[in-house]
Amino acid sequence: MTDTALSSVDSKRLAVASQWQLVWWAFRRHHLAMAGLVVTAFLYIIAIAPGFFAINDPSQQNARAAFHPPQVIHFIDRAADGSWSFRPFIHPSVFKRDPQTLSAIYSEDKTRKNYVRFFGEGYEYKLFGLFSTTTHLIASENKAQPIFLLGTDRLGRCVFSRIIQGTQISLSVGLVGVLLSLTIGILLGGISGYYGGRIDFAVQRVIEFVLSLPSIPIWLALSAALPQDWPATLNYFMITLILSLTGWAQLARVVRGRFLSLRTEEFVTAARLDGASEGRVIFRHMLPSFASHIIASISLAIPAMILAETSLSFLGLGLQPPTISWGVLLREAQNIRSIATAPWLFAPGVAVVVAVIALNFLGDGLRDAADPYNK
Amino acid sequence: MLRFIVKRLLWMVPSLIVVSFLAFVLIQLPPGDFVTTYIATLAASNEVVDQNTAADLRARFGLDRPMIVQYFKWISGIVLRGDFGLSFEWQQPVSDLIWERMALTLVLTFSTLLATWGIALPIGVFSAVKKYSIGDYVVTFFSFLGLAIPSFLLALVLMYVAAVEFGQEVGGLFSEQYLTAPWSIGKVIDLLQHLWIPVIILAVSGTASLIRVMRANMLDELNRPYVTTARAKGLSEFHLLVKYPVRLALNPFISTISWLLPNLVSGSIIVAIVLSLPTAGPLLLQSLMSQDMYLAGAFVLLICALTLIGSLISDILLALVDPRIRLE
Amino acid sequence: MSRDTEHGPRERRGLDRRDMLKGLAGATALSAIPQAASAQTAKEAPALAKLAAEGKLPALAERVSANPLVITVEKVGRYGGSLRRGLRGSSDHNGILRMVGNQGLVRWNLAFTEVLPNVADKWEVNPNSTEFTFYLRKGMKWSDGKPFTADDIVFSIEDCAKNTELYKSPPSPIVINGQAGTATKIDETTVKFTFASPYALFLEQMATPLGQHPTLFAKHYCSQFHPKYNPGVADLVKAANLSDWGTLFRNKCGDIEIPSRWGNADKPTLDPWVIKEPYTGGATRVVMERNPYFWQVDSAGNQLPYIDRLTFSISQDVESLMLDAISGRLDIQERHLDTLQNKPTLSQNMQKGGYRLIELVNSSSQQVQIYLNMTHKDAKMREMFANKEFRKALSLGMNRKEIIDLVYLGQSEPHQTGPRPGHPWYHEGLSKQFTDFDPGQANAILDKLGYAKKDAGGIRLRPDGQKVFFAIDVIPTLYPDEVDALELVKRHWAEIGVDIKVNTIERALYYTRGDNNDHDAAVWPGPGGLDPMLDPRDYLAQHTQGSRYAIPWAQWYVSSGKDGQEPPESQKQRMKLYDQARATADMQKRGEIMKQVFDLTADAFETIGICLAVNAFGICRNNLQNVPPKYPNAWSWPNPGPALPQQFFFAT
Repeated sequence: MTDTALSSVDSKRLAVASQWQLVWWAFRRHHLAMAGLVVTAFLYIIAIAPGFFAINDPSQQNARAAFHPPQVIHFIDRAADGSWSFRPFIHPSVFKRDPQTLSAIYSEDKTRKNYVRFFGEGYEYKLFGLFSTTTHLIASENKAQPIFLLGTDRLGRCVFSRIIQGTQISLSVGLVGVLLSLTIGILLGGISGYYGGRIDFAVQRVIEFVLSLPSIPIWLALSAALPQDWPATLNYFMITLILSLTGWAQLARVVRGRFLSLRTEEFVTAARLDGASEGRVIFRHMLPSFASHIIASISLAIPAMILAETSLSFLGLGLQPPTISWGVLLREAQNIRSIATAPWLFAPGVAVVVAVIALNFLGDGLRDAADPYNK
Repeated sequence: MLRFIVKRLLWMVPSLIVVSFLAFVLIQLPPGDFVTTYIATLAASNEVVDQNTAADLRARFGLDRPMIVQYFKWISGIVLRGDFGLSFEWQQPVSDLIWERMALTLVLTFSTLLATWGIALPIGVFSAVKKYSIGDYVVTFFSFLGLAIPSFLLALVLMYVAAVEFGQEVGGLFSEQYLTAPWSIGKVIDLLQHLWIPVIILAVSGTASLIRVMRANMLDELNRPYVTTARAKGLSEFHLLVKYPVRLALNPFISTISWLLPNLVSGSIIVAIVLSLPTAGPLLLQSLMSQDMYLAGAFVLLICALTLIGSLISDILLALVDPRIRLE
Repeated sequence: MSRDTEHGPRERRGLDRRDMLKGLAGATALSAIPQAASAQTAKEAPALAKLAAEGKLPALAERVSANPLVITVEKVGRYGGSLRRGLRGSSDHNGILRMVGNQGLVRWNLAFTEVLPNVADKWEVNPNSTEFTFYLRKGMKWSDGKPFTADDIVFSIEDCAKNTELYKSPPSPIVINGQAGTATKIDETTVKFTFASPYALFLEQMATPLGQHPTLFAKHYCSQFHPKYNPGVADLVKAANLSDWGTLFRNKCGDIEIPSRWGNADKPTLDPWVIKEPYTGGATRVVMERNPYFWQVDSAGNQLPYIDRLTFSISQDVESLMLDAISGRLDIQERHLDTLQNKPTLSQNMQKGGYRLIELVNSSSQQVQIYLNMTHKDAKMREMFANKEFRKALSLGMNRKEIIDLVYLGQSEPHQTGPRPGHPWYHEGLSKQFTDFDPGQANAILDKLGYAKKDAGGIRLRPDGQKVFFAIDVIPTLYPDEVDALELVKRHWAEIGVDIKVNTIERALYYTRGDNNDHDAAVWPGPGGLDPMLDPRDYLAQHTQGSRYAIPWAQWYVSSGKDGQEPPESQKQRMKLYDQARATADMQKRGEIMKQVFDLTADAFETIGICLAVNAFGICRNNLQNVPPKYPNAWSWPNPGPALPQQFFFAT
């Protein structure tokens, strides 16, 4: 971000700026959208290299730390002689099981300190799926004493690291799914709305047909019919495909509605009389005039996909453990036991909320910025 | 117009036939059949089905015959006698089971719809007109928050808080005493007292997207020359909004009607499950999960028919609201 | 006269103050108090006494049999109250069965070791266990007041259970060696079952839920839907818009475990409570009210049941049952919330919900039985799995202690299979062999077997160059704990160079793969801990769906050699021995025969277990009395039924 606000751009630059420069300038004025952009970018960086941001191996169970509550990080380290330094640490905890209720009880051992290191050594992972490394953003100095920033689940797995790992799948499900449904939706919706008549009628029947297939049975059938020996990634891709299967039809209908009403606008007729090819009329003249609507739809569709994935997981149809996604994590938290005794298991819900809100603000800002009439 | 409607209605018949067949195939696509899922369900409580009974059940439900035979048996019953068959699980006529739940489903869906539109439309318009004001940011933030919280999570937490902290019962749509009572003023009040929780949970997630779409559409329209013209002519700001931009901004809303109708049946399944609401959703899901063919098939057909009708209605409305659209 | 003296002591607690404030069900209970006091002299519920006094109901003496079953109760209860339980959305009819529908000819004792009189007052068995004569109670009535006689039993067996239009093949509890037994009427209150071959296990079978056909159908009511007795049944079928009389019959009279058993309020039964609001597809609750003709009395001669009504609320989601439990809206419940993982939450909320916990002894033997498919379709895999040394290495290669601590909260012990400790047939060798954690020895065995070569990832290679890898099928929605346990096993086995895939699949697929013999391996809780005779699937290949280590062998056994694959000698011997044990009435002798079976099973070591099946628990409201603090958790002992809910009562 620079201090150049749109108002201070001199008119010469404004006059020669390309459309996308204009959009960018307009976008920067929208502070929430900028915030959304930063958060989204950050989330996608995490999604690209989750291993670096995770603290503990997300699949590592720990028999002595089931349902461990989040640990408090102390920042000021006081030595015995009263001097102090800035050195973050945690007190390791002691495990006990209540013989009556069988619940785990953890108490901080104040006498011991476990220092937190930045860019320290941790478990081995593959950065970008290519290079093996053991460097992590945050690591525990004492490897035998893991740090649980957001506590652990029933198997003693680090919730923080699992959320980080889940970012990868959850955020890409949305992106890939939306791109798929967007392509099909705009193509078919556009053709249908632009040509009208017989073609419209035929495409509409197809759309109706797809829409009238209830999504849940399709999800159920397809996810149950996926071959067992497929790797998790392929399964995941299929789930995305399944999710976008019904998404495109809705978008196509909206696009078609827009095309129908734009078809008779003067500027379209003018372009056509000008001898512009049909492709040019559609993509150069008609599409930009409601690009804002499409962007708004996308900005809502990505988070909707993320939520759909969590819902699918809730029904036991989505991704299955040991695959880690936010939906899978939330499904594991989806019970009274978690609410009553381990509320930190709902942290993935917070991640979903943050991602969804950030994406929405981002899309919102884009929409406003792309609007040619927006002043 | 009339010709158009008749033509579309006639087109529904082949569509429905194709869908009915596809639905039948889809429901059977997952491995196993009703009997395997039935056995598995009982096994969850360490219960065992007599081995002789299992084979017997298959034969009784005709599951041992080829799928195409099963399909024709089912579809001919519907076409010839209007008989949707018996639910495998309940041994009750499918149509009874569905209708029994439809009334409350409609009540819930329409209340939710009213609540959602009632909240979303004015806020959407407000947020477009007062773009980038504090008010816009606040409503935007809260609508996004509502959108972002998975509804089943919200439902579960609300239930827990209400039950444990306030000792209040939240599940279901009626109190114990009115459950089987005939309809009366008291029962309606009781229903309303229970209805608001699911309606709020459902509306929370629904309003956000409507607000966003409404706001986006309004912004598109607000900058149109005709708005400036109208304003120049001295039309009051309120009239100006309602007369054209709002009307036009509703256009994409109308397109959504086509999937709103089937949502009457298949929407809100998850919330209904968590809150134990006696609506059609849980029954639909259950029938699909247990591969209760006839029940699930009837549901799918119903949803399909509603979609087809919904898209017809939305096309007609589109033409009525926006004179630029011609149907033929 | 029969007695039951096993209802152990329990503490008595006063009525919780929260109780006063709870919903309407509680209010109904309270309103019944003043009447209850006078009822104790009348020896019947006040509401029934009133009806009898008005002449709307016959007097108590005419309703209860002259020779009623006397239940020795721990405390003589008071009448009244409404008991609340929860059911899950659908297919949960057995939740009702377990509470009320266990009125077979005989029943189990509390310890699940002995058969006691129930509908039958007494019985005789001929020396070679082919003839069973049951003596019924004189003057016993169905819930509509019509007499219950030997005719009803003969009708139920001969006309219904053995009718091929109703049951394609007769229910297996009345079948031995492929032939169904015959029921004959001796006189009004005497009925005789005859079998073609010895069937000593018949009595035990009659005490299980699946053995209740003899007392299921009331002839005077159900015969109207039977073509043999009603030639006009076709019209009824047509009027009901159904396809055949069998469907109509099931709709009206039900069957043992189908929802429509609880869907018809008109059907006469022998149960302590009868249906008022039926269990149908649209129901949100099921209500049952006391059977005025119930044929059991307490030791003071008071007619049972004590409690007026049962209310089953229907929740779509199991979590809302948990919520009901925590907030004190369930009176007794173990179904759907008895997993160990729920225990901390439920015990922390005991005060708030006003309930106590009851312990349920798991009837299973093994919590996580790993079945390697020894009849795998792939010859190489089959060879690997069929080798006992390979299985032994796998067993030694897992750290059971860690699994128990983490997944089962330390509440179990390493175990293979076999009757549970404390059972008279407990077999230490079978239960404890190869349960030590000894990766060194495991590695040595695997090296010796020819899997010494390893790939880059440290996974052993088979002689043909393939990785030592297999998938274990598990149903995550059914047994989430097994997935957790397998995740740990996967890590343990990776240490000894064996790679597995925890194959989480949907339940129907799990069964289909088993039926088709497509699975590499599967897990399931191993039954037969308290009921080794009733479910010996892990001791010999006997169950065509359950003996997952060799389903074709089980098919061979069940079809007497016509289908499936011929099993090895050890299995054949066990099959023969088991048949022998089934025909032996003398428990001493039967135990000796089964000992030989267990010896052979231990030697063959077909299944790999992790730990002893963990006890479950239930919740019980503090004011609900006469509930044993500990009882089995089983299907053959359909808890809480044999703990006799009819003698539970609410203290004031």
